[in-house]
Amino acid sequence: MAKKLMKGAEAIGEAAIRAGCRLFFGYPITPQNEIPEYLSHRLPQVGGTFVQAESEVAASNMLYGAAGTGERVFTSSSSPGISLMQEAISYMAGSQLPVVIVNIMRAGPGLGGILPAQGDYLQSTKGGGHGDYRLLVLAPNSVQEAADLVIEAFDLADYYRNPVLVVGDGLIGQMMEPVEFKDDYAPVRPLPPKTWASTGHTGGEKPRSIINSLFLDPEVLEKHNQALQAKYAEMEKNEIRYEGYGLDGDYDVLIVAYGTVARVCQTAMEELEADGVRVAMIRPISLYPYPSQAVREAAEKASGVLVVELSAGQMIEDVRLALEGRRPIHFHGRTGGMLATPEEIVDKVRRIVEGRGGKS
Amino acid sequence: MLNRRIVILAGHFGSGKSELALHLALAGRATNGRAPVLVDLDIVKPYFRSRDGKQLLEQQGVRLIAPAGENLYADLPIIVPQVRGVCSDPGQPVIMDAGGDETGSRVIGSLSDVLQDAETGMYLVVNFRRPLSATVDAVVASANRISAAARRRITGVISNTHLMDETTAEIVLEGHELAGVAARRLGVDLVALAVEDTLAHAVRARGVDVPLIAINRRIRPQFDGPKKPRTTGPLFVVA
Repeated sequence: MAKKLMKGAEAIGEAAIRAGCRLFFGYPITPQNEIPEYLSHRLPQVGGTFVQAESEVAASNMLYGAAGTGERVFTSSSSPGISLMQEAISYMAGSQLPVVIVNIMRAGPGLGGILPAQGDYLQSTKGGGHGDYRLLVLAPNSVQEAADLVIEAFDLADYYRNPVLVVGDGLIGQMMEPVEFKDDYAPVRPLPPKTWASTGHTGGEKPRSIINSLFLDPEVLEKHNQALQAKYAEMEKNEIRYEGYGLDGDYDVLIVAYGTVARVCQTAMEELEADGVRVAMIRPISLYPYPSQAVREAAEKASGVLVVELSAGQMIEDVRLALEGRRPIHFHGRTGGMLATPEEIVDKVRRIVEGRGGKS
Repeated sequence: MLNRRIVILAGHFGSGKSELALHLALAGRATNGRAPVLVDLDIVKPYFRSRDGKQLLEQQGVRLIAPAGENLYADLPIIVPQVRGVCSDPGQPVIMDAGGDETGSRVIGSLSDVLQDAETGMYLVVNFRRPLSATVDAVVASANRISAAARRRITGVISNTHLMDETTAEIVLEGHELAGVAARRLGVDLVALAVEDTLAHAVRARGVDVPLIAINRRIRPQFDGPKKPRTTGPLFVVA
């Protein structure tokens, strides 16, 4: 397919279709409305179904029901809407249902504003709902990567029988960039047949498939939890993704940033490097599982670490855990929908190099 | 070319209306007579609107009519009353940036009592690299829906096919040819070809049959372009 100029939200919608998803349940909220809008137009063209539910609570429970049939299902929302979905997300994790959820984060807390933010990191990675569960969480930094990760997310959801969450700040949903979809789509790994799907008991050899997260017997529930934990351990082993920038060279400061703000940092790095400041960056793409080891190894080559986020400081907790006090960690964050500028990052890195960075 | 007092830019969602509106407003200030007023009627998308160039426009003496205060950031269908004022003011050039698709153009319809036919032109901006308007059929169908919602005939087509930083002269000209076909199907003229200034020379060298609008792209995300001045908004680089 020739390259198209696509808004992030459109590319995410098209990616879901390319991944074979034919069922979308959602409720509109800025800044991701163009995802449901695009799918409301496209899904009927490919024999799919688009449902605008009466709320995010309804949409997420429709997702639960539809996922139980083994079909590929999808919803998208933005921060407050994702909060409303947390109960169903916990149920889906408990019932081991493969679903893909996109959160185009806006500024909070509460209704907040509609401009870009990354304030849902903790909600995404540390369990937004109740119980011991994990979502696989992926964070793109461009429209192309958003499209690629959404396609992959459907495979990962099926492979692990687990909800996969793709998070982007508002810019990922709203900016336009050239996108190319490959014509020869193939799953990233062999996917097991969905013998668990509840598609009707025919009376033959197929066992009854019951989609459930209620286990009243504590011994049975503990065994269920242990199985889930074993699955999360497998994700931690296999699904760590990140991108490094200048990690092979020598550097004094390591930047850790994800999403579009990592691109602001890249712009800052160009300016710093031109002035002889030695700086590198690591960009986590999987937020859970977090690339702790890679961050630690990269940090050990630097004398200081700078975490940049569009939040008051959330991912920084994972950086602290990864570093275990090995290096001083500095922070630069903007909130409320304000974007960090390259100038701010340049200034902050210079201060760190001069020993005026301030500790986190 | 765009020789009406009131120039309305309409078109499908993401076709480049806001960027073109900013350009025309800033270019118009250089001509004799009164500086144009830029009316941002985008009630469709919440980001990357022409109002994000507010500070730059003010510095350059171009008045911007858009929702005031914190409503500047709202995604609400706000049509401020000053719009009718400038449309009724004879001798006041107006550039109007409509929102995308027929949803955005409905606003134009609501202003039909102050938009006199003789002095108003509604131009369709087309980018054939956008996914939902990638064919002549799709563009013509969209144009008819826009025209119906705006309750106004389309005056002409402005060809604006590009792929942002990955644009080449071939991409521009390929889209331009399709825009010509679409214009003929709609029974109107292809009035101009908009192209980023860095490619204007290459495109002109290939021989183009309509006036060329060389655009200095101003609405960019924050990470784009390290050394340029950033003059506006919490979000957007308008350099």
